[in-house]
Amino acid sequence: MKHIGKVKGTVLAGAFVTASAIAALAEFPERNIEVIHPWGPGNAMAMSKVVAKAMGEELGTDMPVISLPGAAGTKGQKTAMGKPADGYTIFDGYVAPLVLQPILGNADWNYKDFKPLSAAVANAFAIAGQLDESRWADFQELMAYCKENPGDLRYSSGSRNNLPHMVIAKVLQSYGCVAQNVPYTQDGNVFKDLGSRVLDFAFINVGNYRANPDKVKILLVLSELESSKKAYDGAPTIGELGIDLGLSNLGPMGWTWWIVNPDTPDDVTEKLRGAMERAMARPDVIEAIEAIGFVPLDWDHTKYEEIVGSVDAQLNSMGNALAWEEEELGKLN
Amino acid sequence: MIVEFLSAGLDVFLSPLALGFTFCGILVGLLVGAMPGLGPLMGIILLLPVAIGLPPVAAMGFLIAIFVGGSCGGSVSAILLRIPGTPLAAATLFDGYPLAQKGRASDAIGIAITSSAIGGLIGGVVLIFCAPILASFAANFAPPEYAMLAVLGLFAIVVISGGSIVKGLLAGCFGLLIATVGTDSFSTGLRFTFGSHNLLNGFHIVAVVVGLFAISEMAAQMLGRDLLRKPDVKVERPGLGTITMTLKHYVNLIRSSAIGTFFGAIPGAGGVISSFTSYAVAKAAAKPEEKYGDGAEGGVVATESANNATVGGTLVPTLALGIPGDASSAMLLGALLILGFIPGPAMFENSPDVVGGIFMVYLASNIFLLIAGILATPLFVYVLRIPKVYLIPSILLLCSIGTYALQASVFDLQIMLVFGLIGILFRAAHYPLAPVVIGMILGPILEDNLRRSLLISREGYWIFVDRPVSTILVVVNGLLLATMVYLTIKRARGSKQSELAKALSADE
Repeated sequence: MKHIGKVKGTVLAGAFVTASAIAALAEFPERNIEVIHPWGPGNAMAMSKVVAKAMGEELGTDMPVISLPGAAGTKGQKTAMGKPADGYTIFDGYVAPLVLQPILGNADWNYKDFKPLSAAVANAFAIAGQLDESRWADFQELMAYCKENPGDLRYSSGSRNNLPHMVIAKVLQSYGCVAQNVPYTQDGNVFKDLGSRVLDFAFINVGNYRANPDKVKILLVLSELESSKKAYDGAPTIGELGIDLGLSNLGPMGWTWWIVNPDTPDDVTEKLRGAMERAMARPDVIEAIEAIGFVPLDWDHTKYEEIVGSVDAQLNSMGNALAWEEEELGKLN
Repeated sequence: MIVEFLSAGLDVFLSPLALGFTFCGILVGLLVGAMPGLGPLMGIILLLPVAIGLPPVAAMGFLIAIFVGGSCGGSVSAILLRIPGTPLAAATLFDGYPLAQKGRASDAIGIAITSSAIGGLIGGVVLIFCAPILASFAANFAPPEYAMLAVLGLFAIVVISGGSIVKGLLAGCFGLLIATVGTDSFSTGLRFTFGSHNLLNGFHIVAVVVGLFAISEMAAQMLGRDLLRKPDVKVERPGLGTITMTLKHYVNLIRSSAIGTFFGAIPGAGGVISSFTSYAVAKAAAKPEEKYGDGAEGGVVATESANNATVGGTLVPTLALGIPGDASSAMLLGALLILGFIPGPAMFENSPDVVGGIFMVYLASNIFLLIAGILATPLFVYVLRIPKVYLIPSILLLCSIGTYALQASVFDLQIMLVFGLIGILFRAAHYPLAPVVIGMILGPILEDNLRRSLLISREGYWIFVDRPVSTILVVVNGLLLATMVYLTIKRARGSKQSELAKALSADE
């Protein structure tokens, strides 16, 4: 009986050691990896699904993209970073929640607080006007009209306090143009109301422009990059009009850099980085991203500090044009 | 031109892959629609990665069929269990459930499926023949028109409240109140979030609907004494008879489909408003003997034809202007872009085969819905034969899975349970639940567009009568309000007089 007991004990101990070894050897990932996307369903989410699908194929797992909109993307970021730091949650780190909201005092983090995986995509904005506008022929004339008629013009940047709002407000400030911002929750409706002459001018993204290139006139591309100018069929850029916003490269553009919780183990982070870099280099992924109207970015994690740090510094030093806009509109009312 | 689109589309549509995936899409759609919590949007999001690996028309057939099937699937659980599978079917339970309780569950599902298919086909005809005209009309709907339309929608509360208008209005106000929770998109200030980041975007409508309807219904069922009894429900397949039953309501069918298509074509309005509005109009136009709210076939016809016609309507601005009509069509738009097609006028010129193919898959989806739905009805009805002791925990589990899957959020589960408790209290006090949903959906539309209109306006409230469509809506709203006040006063006086007459006759 004693022998049987010893054998049982040995078998149990062996089983325990084997199970522990298997667990230790278990390869990441063992289950689905969630990507938290900070906006509602739409083009940007479709783009994230393209990247997530390719990255999941590289890792041999599914990567569902979960839409968690709210508070300019900060709800998604808070939720993602509140999940366990095991690499099974990735945040689709758009500039608004990652950099802009902390600058505006609406979030208590800094871009340095997270571990970057890789840059994903960028999206250039432009200011569009109506096609048959008789009050002005170009952007400079629009600004002159606006200066003469303070508070008379209506424009939209989509949501309030987002990057397009901040950049457009800065442009208007540099011309002394006071116009009423009208917030919208759906970008498509901005485009619709611009077309039906409810708005005088508005921000537009490449996707909306490409759908109806004959319905609006692009007055100013909010980027200095040649690729952005090309996306808007050669419309004038801020660089060409000599508008100095103190923003360069990705500064005035929307972009996303996928990030994970800073406490994520290094080996897991490296695995995710490798998979994302391989996914972003795939021709089918690049083609799909470009089809949606986004620009694929090929910076790896080593460039995070340099690129995102530069945008952070630029946005920090450009001053709060949103506060200026509010103050000037307040004086008129 | 239309014939060219359709013939070009027919060539690409008639492939085993496109036909097969469209049919699979309908099955997936019916399943995600019938499961409380999930819905067409979740189905499209989950299966987008599968679709983008397919040829364009097969991919769009798969996703559009999920949209079509999912918009109808919610009616199945609404009819059988008094739980709307999706918010779209919240109005279907008014008459669908009583109809099932009268032993006509198969008929009710058959009518719902037939109405959905015919409504969808009517929406499809409008999509094919009037897309550019309807899109340009809808494009002129600006914030003042949306605000007035939302006010019009709120009147539906009075019509659907049944017993007590006051209770209905109070429930509607509760819906409006909970819709204010979250980040104010105008000031970016936080409202009633109590420091919780989970509330930054307010309550998820699906978690609220599942809680209010499903949890409270299951609680009510648990109080019954028949938990172990195996119900003797006759399971039969609805035949051509249900199609005849549906077609008998042809005026209602056409009117509700038109309402659904119209609301679909206006970006941001959506299927929930269209189904409630259609129901309210159908009820208001019905004869008293039709007994709306007590198992009227017309009630099911109105809501189901409207919410599926909305799918065709939402495709109008999505395809013709590149502006998504709702969240589901926003994902369809994203899929089209990934597949290399830019929705908008240029797509009609440059890719007539794809546009025609999309028209064809949409029409085919509705036909497949009729076939698959009718064939699957006995399976659905079989659910009613399961003893409640097994059925209730299974439904609660499905509700929890569906609600959690929305945002992978435990908080949504907590919200579901809290609103379940609220639903139980509402039922105990005989307050209707549907007005809460109407208030919650119309609240943000009304508030945002009212404030947006005033920001756009240079003359304050005059903006609402400066624009022709808005002016018409203001007048219609004014007349409706006056009529409702008049009828309410008349009814109150009538009941007082009859009470007096009763008292006098008792004295004699």
